[in-house]
Amino acid sequence: MPALEVKALHQYFEKGTVNENHALKGIDLTLDPGDFVAIIGGNGAGKSTLLNSVAGSIPVTHGQIKIADKDVTYQNVAKRARLIARVFQDPKAGTAPRLTVEENLSLALKRGQWRNFWASGVKKRDRALFREKLASLGLGLEERLTAEIGLLSGGQRQAVTLLMATLQAPELLLLDEHTAALDPQTSATVMTLTEQLVEAQQITTLMITHNMQDALRYGNRLIMLDHGRIAVDIKGPEKEGLTVADLMRLFKEQSGRELNDDAVLLS
Amino acid sequence: MDILISSISQGLLWSVMAIGVYLTFRILDIADMTAEGSFPLGAAITAHQLVSGTGPVLATLYGALGGAVAGLVSGVLHTKLKIPDLLTGILTMTGLYSVNLFVMGRPNVSLLSDVKTVFTPVDFGDPTLNAIAVGLVVAAIVIAGLVYFFNTEMGLAARAVGDNQAMSAANGINNDTMKIVVYMVSNALIALSGALMAQTNGFADSSMGIGTIVIALSAIIIAEILIRNLSFGWRLVTIIAGAIIYRWIIAWVLDRGVDPNALRLFYALMLVLFLALPLIRKQFQQSMARRENRRRMNE
Repeated sequence: MPALEVKALHQYFEKGTVNENHALKGIDLTLDPGDFVAIIGGNGAGKSTLLNSVAGSIPVTHGQIKIADKDVTYQNVAKRARLIARVFQDPKAGTAPRLTVEENLSLALKRGQWRNFWASGVKKRDRALFREKLASLGLGLEERLTAEIGLLSGGQRQAVTLLMATLQAPELLLLDEHTAALDPQTSATVMTLTEQLVEAQQITTLMITHNMQDALRYGNRLIMLDHGRIAVDIKGPEKEGLTVADLMRLFKEQSGRELNDDAVLLS
Repeated sequence: MDILISSISQGLLWSVMAIGVYLTFRILDIADMTAEGSFPLGAAITAHQLVSGTGPVLATLYGALGGAVAGLVSGVLHTKLKIPDLLTGILTMTGLYSVNLFVMGRPNVSLLSDVKTVFTPVDFGDPTLNAIAVGLVVAAIVIAGLVYFFNTEMGLAARAVGDNQAMSAANGINNDTMKIVVYMVSNALIALSGALMAQTNGFADSSMGIGTIVIALSAIIIAEILIRNLSFGWRLVTIIAGAIIYRWIIAWVLDRGVDPNALRLFYALMLVLFLALPLIRKQFQQSMARRENRRRMNE
């Protein structure tokens, strides 16, 4: 049973107007359970549109999306949260700033489940788990359970967001350029943490990145989008030892064009 | 002294309404004008029920329930029909004016002295003291209930919605539902305050809601100026103080012989002042710092 199945996905923006933008042109994509897929592509290639379509934040024009064999094509973001966890590019986006660290973690622990008005939001028995998980980040956050999360730095917040996303293992983890807004060192730390958390629970992961090095280094599969189509899709042993030069050659073979998008090459 | 005691009694009853407004104002970041309609709605339902012979506690609860329904209407208009929050409140408030007239059957219902109210069983020998006693009990129950609710699973979810909607949706929280819940709780409290007010004043009036939102926001902002950065529960307690102080200022001004017709103009001007106060304070500090800097540079 595939973890994610995207069939003939088309996305149009402002369809029928002069500004019509055919952002995705028939994406077919199947992810096996445990796949860690890095998606790269230049500006306008359709990376974010694909991720947002899977997450449910933009309605699908045409096609079908299934997660763990459930058709979610017409489900909204909140409904899909049962199956999906997501980390955003903006470190502020993944947490509720005026809530404490433990309140944020408690919210994430119940992701996609019914929340009642008799059980307390932060449970005593969960605190030990939170401490242990936070301690594993090595940021000293286990001592700051009751601090408002808005007081933490961007890197700390992103690390906590990652923890929140994996606290209750999702069927699919979406990483939306989640290290792009961090400084290089913090970005590397968060990437290492990502790999640890994903590997520990064998979480099926879809990661968008602008960083070609990260895409080559992490995950067992690499997909390059180009003008709304999948231009390159390499997995398993073929991906091992892949270099930027290989990628450029593959891109040319597939699309018949030189890869010359600065946004992809320079990062 | 009399002014202070009557301000405490009036302020306590207002504080229940101010706490209701606080929920939408600070948790959802919405200035919900529904208050202007749900306050007299609570008064109208309760007065009508009391006159019809319903027991005072039940009549008061019906009033609060009516407020919850008004909140439901505003919540649905805002979240499901995507009408801007300010307009939503104005629409519900306008509609409620007619509803209130229908409920009462006329613009004004008097509660004659033989009508039993929630204040009747309390006897400290003075109606103002009775009002304070009832007000304290109600405010304590309301604050305890809210602190409890906003620390439950659902309450946390509601706070997350006010804080970061992308995050709450990504965690499976239905933002629309949670907003509607907060709208309902908020307006139930505002109507509860109206229900109590009708019972101490001895009447319900279709125009008694005018100025509700301004009074509530003033109480909230006084509380926030008084002590900054408080936890949710303590903030609610300080709102009681804010409402009492506000009522005291009003009573003092009226006592100076100000024309009562000017009262609502005064409400509005006071709120303008309170809202501008943080800015005025900041600019004052800046100009002081500049003066200090100039003096040092000239030395």
